[in-house]
Amino acid sequence: MTTSFSARPDSAILDKFAEQLNTVRENVMANVGEAEAKHIRKIIRIQRANEIIGRICIPLGFFNPTLWIVGVLLLAVSKILDNMEIGHNVMHGQYDWMNDKHINSRSFDWDNAGDSNSWKRYHNHEHHTYTNVIGKDRDFGYGLLRLSDDTRWKPKNVWQFFTYMALAVFFEFGIAYHEVAGERVFIGKRKKKSSLPISIQKLRSDFFSKIGRQFFKDYVFYPLICFPAFLYVISGNLAANLIRNLWTNTIIFCGHFTEDIHTFKASDCKDETQGQWYYRQVLGSSNLEGRKWFHILTGHLSCQVEHHLFPDVPAQHYPAMAKEVEKICAQYNVPYNTGPFAKQLFTVWQRIIKYSFPTVKQASAVSA
Amino acid sequence: MNSNASYNSNSIISNALSKSWTWLASSIVNKPNFSGYFEPLIQWALPQWRADLIRSKITTVRIESPDMYSLVIKPGSDFNHFLAGQYVELTVVKDGAWMSRYFSISSSPAYFKKTGLIEISIRIQEKGRITPWLISALSKGSIVNLTQAQGEFVLPRAQKPLLMIAGGSGITPIRSMLQQLASTKDTSQYPQREVTLLFYARSADHFLFEKELAATQENNTWLTVHFINSETDGFFNKEHLNKYCPLALNYQVYICGPSPMILSARKELINAHFSDQQVNYEFFGPEPMDNVETGAANVLFSKAHKQISVSENNIKTLLELAEEQNTNPVSGCRMGVCHQCICQKKSGIVFNQKTKKYSDTGQQEIQLCISVPVGDVVLDL
Repeated sequence: MTTSFSARPDSAILDKFAEQLNTVRENVMANVGEAEAKHIRKIIRIQRANEIIGRICIPLGFFNPTLWIVGVLLLAVSKILDNMEIGHNVMHGQYDWMNDKHINSRSFDWDNAGDSNSWKRYHNHEHHTYTNVIGKDRDFGYGLLRLSDDTRWKPKNVWQFFTYMALAVFFEFGIAYHEVAGERVFIGKRKKKSSLPISIQKLRSDFFSKIGRQFFKDYVFYPLICFPAFLYVISGNLAANLIRNLWTNTIIFCGHFTEDIHTFKASDCKDETQGQWYYRQVLGSSNLEGRKWFHILTGHLSCQVEHHLFPDVPAQHYPAMAKEVEKICAQYNVPYNTGPFAKQLFTVWQRIIKYSFPTVKQASAVSA
Repeated sequence: MNSNASYNSNSIISNALSKSWTWLASSIVNKPNFSGYFEPLIQWALPQWRADLIRSKITTVRIESPDMYSLVIKPGSDFNHFLAGQYVELTVVKDGAWMSRYFSISSSPAYFKKTGLIEISIRIQEKGRITPWLISALSKGSIVNLTQAQGEFVLPRAQKPLLMIAGGSGITPIRSMLQQLASTKDTSQYPQREVTLLFYARSADHFLFEKELAATQENNTWLTVHFINSETDGFFNKEHLNKYCPLALNYQVYICGPSPMILSARKELINAHFSDQQVNYEFFGPEPMDNVETGAANVLFSKAHKQISVSENNIKTLLELAEEQNTNPVSGCRMGVCHQCICQKKSGIVFNQKTKKYSDTGQQEIQLCISVPVGDVVLDL
C-alpha cells in the first residue's frame, strides 16, 4: 500500500490540477457569509439543547431507566457535535471570519480531555501539512499501530487489534497525550530539536489541567449537584464519553487508514508545489458516503479528501465540493477513495489485522 | 494601616473569587465565562444579543448631507451616562460577521437625559465596507450593539475659554459639547465661557450641522463660529489664529478631524508657544506614526512596542517581519493552512496572498504567514 511516486503526474500537469481545485475553492469562498454563520450557530444551539436536556434526563434515570438511556444518547450527541462539527471545524479557522470570540480558532475549547491548543499545534500543522508521511505525521498509527509495511514489524503488533480497541475506548486521552508523547515529556529521551512554541512545563501543566477540568465536570460537579442519583450521573457521563470516543475514533480511522490509502516518505514532500501537495492530500485521505445528518455527525470528516484539500473552507460545503473534486480527479487519473461507511470501516479493520503480521503473505491468509 | 490591610484582603478575596469562577466556567462549559455558553441560545430569542455589549435600537436614520448621515439610537438600559465628546464602538452583523467601528456621539448628555436617545453622525467613506453599507442596512427598529462611552476628549468643567478646531466630520464630538453648553442651565456643572469654533470643510456644501451651529451662535452670546473653506483658505495656520482668535494663548484648545489636520494644527500651535497641556485632541485609532516615507508602510507591534518601516514594494509577510523584530510570533505551516499564526490586527489594511483579497480596516484576526501590510498596520503582538 505504500506509494512510490512513480505514478505521480508531471508537476506541470499537477499545476493545472491545482488551478482547477483552486477554482472550486474560490467559488465557494466568494459567497461565504450569512448562510455559513447561520449554520454553525444552529448546530451550536442544537448541541446546547442536547447537552442541557441530556444532563437533565440522566439523573432522572433514578425514576425511570429509559430516561437514563435517552439522556446518555443526547449527551453523547452533544459531545460528538461539540468535538466534530463545531470544535474541529472552528479550530481549523473555518469560522474565524465571523469575528466572534466564541466561534474562533484562537479561543475555542472543546468538551474533550485533549487540550485544544495542543491539538491545534499537532493536528493543524503536523497532520495537515505532512499527511500520511511516515515518521512526520504521527497520526498515522499514533505510534501504537503498524498500518503499512513502511514501519518494521515488532512482536507487539501481533495483538494490535486489541491495542486499537483500547485506543478507541480511550480515544480522547489519546488526543490529549499525542503531543506530550511526541515531546517525550514523561517517557523516553527528550528530543534535541523541538519546535514546541511553549515550555515543556507549560505543556505538562496544560495536559493535566485539561484532563482535571474534564474529570471535575463529568465525575465530580454534575454527580454532586444531582447527589441522590450520583451513580446514575457518573455512569451516564462515562457512557456518553465512551460513545463519543468510539465514534470519533471510528470516523477518523476511516479517513486515513482504509484499504487504498497511500503513505509517503519524507523525501516525497520536499519542495512540493501546490499541485503536488494537493495530489498527496487526495491520495492520503478517504471519504465516506452518507446522508446530511451523517455528514454533520462526522463533522464532515466523511469528506476527508475535501477537508484535506481545503481545511479552512466551512465544512458544510464539502459534500457539494466532493462531486466536483471527484470529477477533476478522474480527469487527471488521480485515485479518489470513497465508499459506504460499513465497507470503508471493514477495510480499516482488515488493514489493522493485515499489518499485525510481518509479511504480506501471512496477512492475506489471515484476512481471507 | 488597618483600612489598607482590609482593602488588600478584600481585593485578594475578590480576585480569588473571580479566578475560581473563571475556572469553574472553563471546566463546566469549556468557555472563559458562562455567558459564552448561553449566548447562542439567547441569540435565538434576541438576535445579535451579546453578553459584552449593549443591545440597542435604531429609532431614526437621518440624512445630513450627500455624504453624511446620522443614526438616532436608543441605547439599551445598561448604557451608562456619558460625557460630551466621548465615543462608542458600534458593532453590527454584516454577512454573518461581527464588524465594529468607533464613532463619536454627536448629541449631548443633556439630550440623552431628556429623551434617552443618542446620535452618531457618520461620513460615508467611498471605499469603506461599513459606512456606505450601514445606511442601507439600518432602518427604524434595527438592532445594533454599543459599548459604554469612552475617551478622554471631553468638555472641560473649568471656566477657561475654549478654541475649538474642527475638520470635516470632526465636528461630531464638538457638536455634542456645544449642545451640552447651550442646554445646561446648571452653570455649576459647566460654567459659561467664551467659545470660538473654527470649522474647516472642503467646500461650502460640507459644513455639517451648519444651520444648527448658526442658530446656536445666534442664541448664545458666548459662541462664535467661523465656517472656513479649506479648499480656498487653506488649513489652520498662524494667520487664521491671529485673525479669528487673537487671544487664544489664554484658551484651552480642542482639535478634532482627520489625522493629518490634527498633526499640522498641533505643530502650528506649538510653534505659537501653546503648551502641551493646553492642546487637546483625539485620533481615531492609534496615533499615526511619524517619519513615514511616501508609499511606505509602518508596522507597529503594540505589545512589544516595536515598529518597523517597509518599503512600497515590500513582499515580506507580517510573519517574517514579526520574526525579524523578535516578537516571538507563533508559526506553523507558513502556507496559510494551519491557522497557528493567527493574530489580532488592531487596525490597517493587509493583503492576503492566499485569497488575493484586501482586508477590512478595523479589528480582526489575520493569518500572519500570508498577510502583507498595505499601509500602516497595528498588530496585537
